[in-house]
Amino acid sequence: MDAAVDIFYRKVLGDARISSFFDDIDMERQAAKQKAFLTMVMGGPAHYTGRDMRTSHARLVKSGLNDSHVDAVIELLAATLKELGVADSDIAEVGALANSVRNDVLSR
Amino acid sequence: MVELTFEGVEVHAAEGQTVLSALEDAGIPLDCACRAGICQSCLVQSLDAPPPPAAQAGLPRAMAMDGYFMACVCVPEGPLTIGRAGKARQRLDVTVRAVERLSPTVVRLLLDDGGRFQCHPGQFLTLIHPASGVTRSYSIAGNADGALELHLRILPEGRMSRLVADDLSPDDVMTIAGPSGSCFYDPADRDQRIVLAGTGTGLAPLWGILQDALRHGHRGPISLYHGALDRSGLYLVEALESLEAERPGFRYVPCLRDAEDPAGGDLWAVVSELETDLRATTFFLCGDELLIRRMKRGLFMAGARLDQIHADPFTPAQARAAS
Repeated sequence: MDAAVDIFYRKVLGDARISSFFDDIDMERQAAKQKAFLTMVMGGPAHYTGRDMRTSHARLVKSGLNDSHVDAVIELLAATLKELGVADSDIAEVGALANSVRNDVLSR
Repeated sequence: MVELTFEGVEVHAAEGQTVLSALEDAGIPLDCACRAGICQSCLVQSLDAPPPPAAQAGLPRAMAMDGYFMACVCVPEGPLTIGRAGKARQRLDVTVRAVERLSPTVVRLLLDDGGRFQCHPGQFLTLIHPASGVTRSYSIAGNADGALELHLRILPEGRMSRLVADDLSPDDVMTIAGPSGSCFYDPADRDQRIVLAGTGTGLAPLWGILQDALRHGHRGPISLYHGALDRSGLYLVEALESLEAERPGFRYVPCLRDAEDPAGGDLWAVVSELETDLRATTFFLCGDELLIRRMKRGLFMAGARLDQIHADPFTPAQARAAS
């Protein structure tokens, strides 16, 4: 899981579409949150509620977070799993789980 | 029923209840997100008893050693005194052993603590001048022989550095509090390749970490990069050069800015050119805030492991080590 977090976080920071949302942030804290996110979408024990997702992203929605950014994150997530040798069918399932929190993340 | 104290307020936790839930019941909400001990949003610190190991799973070693834990997965087994992260501190009076010039702009302050101040070289402490109340943070460059070593850059307008350089004499009393910071040597990394890189008095924590590594019998290669505007900004040069001559596997690389070439001698440029095996290296980065943040991100993006980059950016806003 730690290897996945490093790969995923590196992709997120290096992606011009979304990297600005991650500037000025404590890198360790951010990596821990990404680990929690990866744990959740891979079906592990992370009990995010819709409300948690709303509260934690509300500030970003105000500064312009929208569907295109969520798309980018899900795309980078898939690329991370591909790099780690995860089967396409499993990647699709993880993508669907990630997609299921889209409305909460975007405060809709 | 378990008794907790949170920032001085008594809170009761029911049998099997987590600290987070007990605090919420008492009307003290913490920031939290995953509620599963992963995201570290609800990080707090035990100020007395060690917390249950399960509540520290996945935390960096330095934080676990300092009593940090995640409230959402902590079911306390006995009473705990808890503070928000970063509030646990020792505080004691120490006497000045010596004030020595290391360079035209840097002095070494040795404080007699008799070995009482629990800390690791590379962490930082708060130094308080009792008579004037002037308070600044400095990195710990050493804690051997019953004395703490600090390096202070002398600034014309720096209140603490002027006090120390002009007024302080042996046997004067100073107060110290702390320590803080996770930038220190781990004996488990004995065979690891280590890169120490910093600017100005960022050399203080790096020097402390270097001495600590050698004391623990470090076996892997060590490189130390020290950045300065010009030669007068370097210090401990002779000690580092003789160490380089004596110890195979130790390399000292002074990085001086080149007036002719704006990019010349940039610490990050030099490190990224000379260091190639980033994944297998532990990094310690200390000094100028913007440079250190840029290096940390750059090293991570180039392949270094995030948990192997220990950075201590000096923030002048709070006069951290800058004055």
